[in-house]
Amino acid sequence: MLHHLIELILRYGVPLVFVNVFLEQIGAPIPAVPTLVVAGALARNGQMSSTHVLAGALVASILADWIWFLLGRRYGYRILRTLCRISLSPDSCVRETEAYFDRWGMKSLLFAKFIPGFSTVAPPLAGAMKASTLEFLVYDAIGAFVWAGTAVAGGRLFHKAIGKLLKRLEDLGWWSVVFVGSVIALVVLVKWWQRRTFYRQLRVARVTADDLKAMFDRGESPIVLDVRTRGSRQRDLRRIPSAIVASSPEEVAQQLEQISPLSPIILYCT
Amino acid sequence: MLIDRGYTEVRPLAGGLDAWVDAGYPVEELSE
Repeated sequence: MLHHLIELILRYGVPLVFVNVFLEQIGAPIPAVPTLVVAGALARNGQMSSTHVLAGALVASILADWIWFLLGRRYGYRILRTLCRISLSPDSCVRETEAYFDRWGMKSLLFAKFIPGFSTVAPPLAGAMKASTLEFLVYDAIGAFVWAGTAVAGGRLFHKAIGKLLKRLEDLGWWSVVFVGSVIALVVLVKWWQRRTFYRQLRVARVTADDLKAMFDRGESPIVLDVRTRGSRQRDLRRIPSAIVASSPEEVAQQLEQISPLSPIILYCT
Repeated sequence: MLIDRGYTEVRPLAGGLDAWVDAGYPVEELSE
């Protein structure tokens, strides 16, 4: 089986790398790093060209990211929330991604691909923030080059070890496919279960906009905390009437000193 | 963090500020 896989990489090398990287960057749960590492090892053995592999990965990555960037520019934060909902990471991802952007700006695209989850969410966020297309493409291209380059260089560097590993897996025949498939299935299952539990807890605890309005109308005066990031608040200067602004954990702690632990607290992001 | 500090009745607003705005409820401008 693995023999066929390597044959496939050798025969369709660059197009395969292109499709794999594109699918991963567009959001499909198909990791591209193993393909890049194997391609790097094959390139070290003279069976492929590192330059072609890197070029294929670079174009695929920029293309996928650019699609997300344009979607972010058109649909704003709604596209981010949709992305976070379908990803297997918890739904705090919009806020966490924003925090990276607030801190590093467009430079965060340079390392975005090394952070799970952030990779797909960063381009639409840059689009939603109306970043310049040229600036986005420059930072995104450098980030993609560093990411793909690291994987290919890793493959070249450890080509002997990778060759041995592939040989062992090949010796196992179909059992290697069962083993690798089981590990991937287990990881996805655990993440899915965590997300399911997280959403269940959240659904029970959440209040809707109608619930909150009804609380105000009944004169219950809950404490409303606006926990959006500073950047997000600057982009949208509205808030729920009387909401207390607290972006960082320090600001939240400071505000808490004036709030009784018995008070009902409602917090909101974008 | 809030729950760790003893605040037991902490609930997130579903859909965030956008849901509040989409429902047509009033907002006020921040002075930042």
